[in-house]
Amino acid sequence: MNRLHPFSAVTMAIQQAITGFTLPFFLVIFLSSVTDVVTTTWAFVLAPAGLVLGVAYALAYYYRFEYGMTSDTFDVQSGVFSRRSREIPYGRIQNVDIARGVVQRLLGLAVVSIETAGGGSTEAALRFVSEGEANRLQRQIRKRTAEVKGRQREPRPSAADESTTTDEEPVEPRPDKPTSPRGADRGREVADEIGPAESSEASGYEVDRRREQRLFDLRSRELLLYAFTSFRPAAVAAVLFLFFLATDTILEYFVAIAQPVGGPEDLETGTTGSYGVLTLVSFVNGLVITYLLSVAYTFATYFGFRLSRADEDFVYERGLLQRYSGSIPAEKVQSVTVTDNPAQRLIGYAGLWVETAGYGPDSSAGSQSAVPLAKRRRVYTFTENLTDVERPRFHRPPTIARRRYLVRYSLIALAIVAVAFAVTRVTVLERWYLAVAVFTAVPPAAHLRYVNLGYFVGEDHLVIRRGFWRRRTTVVPYYRIQTVSTRRSIFQRRLGLASLLVDTASSRTFSQATPTIYDVDLEDARDVHETGRKRLQSALRERARSDDPGFSVDFT
Amino acid sequence: MESLHPRIRVLWIGQWAITAIVLGTIALVADRLFVDVPTALQGGIVVVGFVLGTVYALRLYQIWRFELQSDALYLERGVVTFVETAVPFVRVQHVDTQFGPIERALGLSSVVVYTAGSRNADVRIPGLTPDRARELQDTLRDLAVESEADDAV
Repeated sequence: MNRLHPFSAVTMAIQQAITGFTLPFFLVIFLSSVTDVVTTTWAFVLAPAGLVLGVAYALAYYYRFEYGMTSDTFDVQSGVFSRRSREIPYGRIQNVDIARGVVQRLLGLAVVSIETAGGGSTEAALRFVSEGEANRLQRQIRKRTAEVKGRQREPRPSAADESTTTDEEPVEPRPDKPTSPRGADRGREVADEIGPAESSEASGYEVDRRREQRLFDLRSRELLLYAFTSFRPAAVAAVLFLFFLATDTILEYFVAIAQPVGGPEDLETGTTGSYGVLTLVSFVNGLVITYLLSVAYTFATYFGFRLSRADEDFVYERGLLQRYSGSIPAEKVQSVTVTDNPAQRLIGYAGLWVETAGYGPDSSAGSQSAVPLAKRRRVYTFTENLTDVERPRFHRPPTIARRRYLVRYSLIALAIVAVAFAVTRVTVLERWYLAVAVFTAVPPAAHLRYVNLGYFVGEDHLVIRRGFWRRRTTVVPYYRIQTVSTRRSIFQRRLGLASLLVDTASSRTFSQATPTIYDVDLEDARDVHETGRKRLQSALRERARSDDPGFSVDFT
Repeated sequence: MESLHPRIRVLWIGQWAITAIVLGTIALVADRLFVDVPTALQGGIVVVGFVLGTVYALRLYQIWRFELQSDALYLERGVVTFVETAVPFVRVQHVDTQFGPIERALGLSSVVVYTAGSRNADVRIPGLTPDRARELQDTLRDLAVESEADDAV
């Protein structure tokens, strides 16, 4: 069993010491103000005691945290008082991520996270191991996962032989490893393992680099386009946070900016007109700042993005300040999604994401960017190579669906007008009827939603497209289907429409719902429902006879 | 197609009654502390909540159906939004039988089928007799084992 890097003990001791010191301190201050039993002098005793306890706890945690690798499982033992010993079978590991923050990079440290499909959080997080150790772990886990897989496949040929005698078409012998370059990799890996991994961190890293085959590099042009054409909601949160931190300074800044164009002298004195100017200028300012923050964030996150393959795994690396690297086994990929927003569609670019069942380091859990942005043609070709899907010919829902959106958006517009009316009742603002202008946005909105819907029932895949602001075209192989549901709300029932939800094991998050074919004719929905179910069964039978991993690693 | 045990209606109506009473209590508290809520309105909230809840519960019972088909567990349910779900046996991760205190008092039990799909959206069949629930659990488990896929997530 191994311990974490000693530096983790130091950082954790500092953290715990701060908590141990401040918690009793504030508690005593609070209690002394409430009751007479507690006096402030207690703080001078309790706070240092808490500090010592915190440090002791951190050290105990460090010494009681151990991890190690057996031939089948990755083990973590942790806990000071209640011990937890966790064994993660290699075959169940979804992805292994390495994150290095700015400070951690200076100190040569990294955080390793191991994700499986279950649970609501990272299954094992090694907070601070050395960079070399992190790479060694990632490599070893990948290798052992492949070994486990190999062992599982061993008894397979006999089964395949049997099926050849009964089946009409002979099953192709499984592509044996010695013929492929992978065999050579094996040998090198073994040599790599025997060599002292801990002492020769740098050389281990080099070996790993060479073994990888580059699939995609994000060029600076693509990075810049990506940064400028995408928007991150996180930027809004960041701006709001900044605003709460320094409200006064920011308000002063807004007033100063608005003054030359007719804003008020200060916040107290001003006319309705000048306040209006201030509001408008501040709003525009806020938008620009949020956008620039989002651009900077995207730039820093995807700086130096590259995707490679190592054996049957995807390995990616990205980040300017915080450097991430992760590996995703190709056979764990649940579905593949092409995303684009209106700006990216305009310049003919798109991005490619792969979804796994684990939780990723991103906020978009379980969804990893394989190609952040590239020419649309290229991304489509990548997708076709990766999933082996034929070029989709999309079906649209019936036009009655568009009428539905028209009604729906009209109701939303009506609500906005109602809110505007209510606002004019309680504030100095008048002319609520100006809000009626939002109705002009209703027909285009309904139309845009409608034209961006589509589905295609392929030979081995279902392709589902939806969304205007962030259009997502998801390719779901039939054998990845978990459940299929046909949903009909009362409104849909009246129009004879239905929505089909195709659930896969990729984790669903708040922002990204289950792939859904919206508002198609009930009959079509039922058809696709049946097709999905049938092809899932036949695909599983087929896959039981072959070794096809389903996704081609070498897709570029 | 199999429907649920008729006694589930009692449970659902009871749940709606509790909801209606909670709403009424909120109205009462609001009346005492903040704004004036007429007593008639307070009573109205409880009565309307109860009546609507009862109608909803009865209708839901009529609609709820499930069936073990050749390859999947098939369910139909939903009053406002009607949902037909197919859960292929291959995809069943594990099956639970559950019952809460009220369900137990009514002699009812639920079967919960977990898949690797979207979290917190697992399939639940309420209103089964404990025997039927256990039987269904066993059947589902056997069918799941029989049709085990090797492409574990």
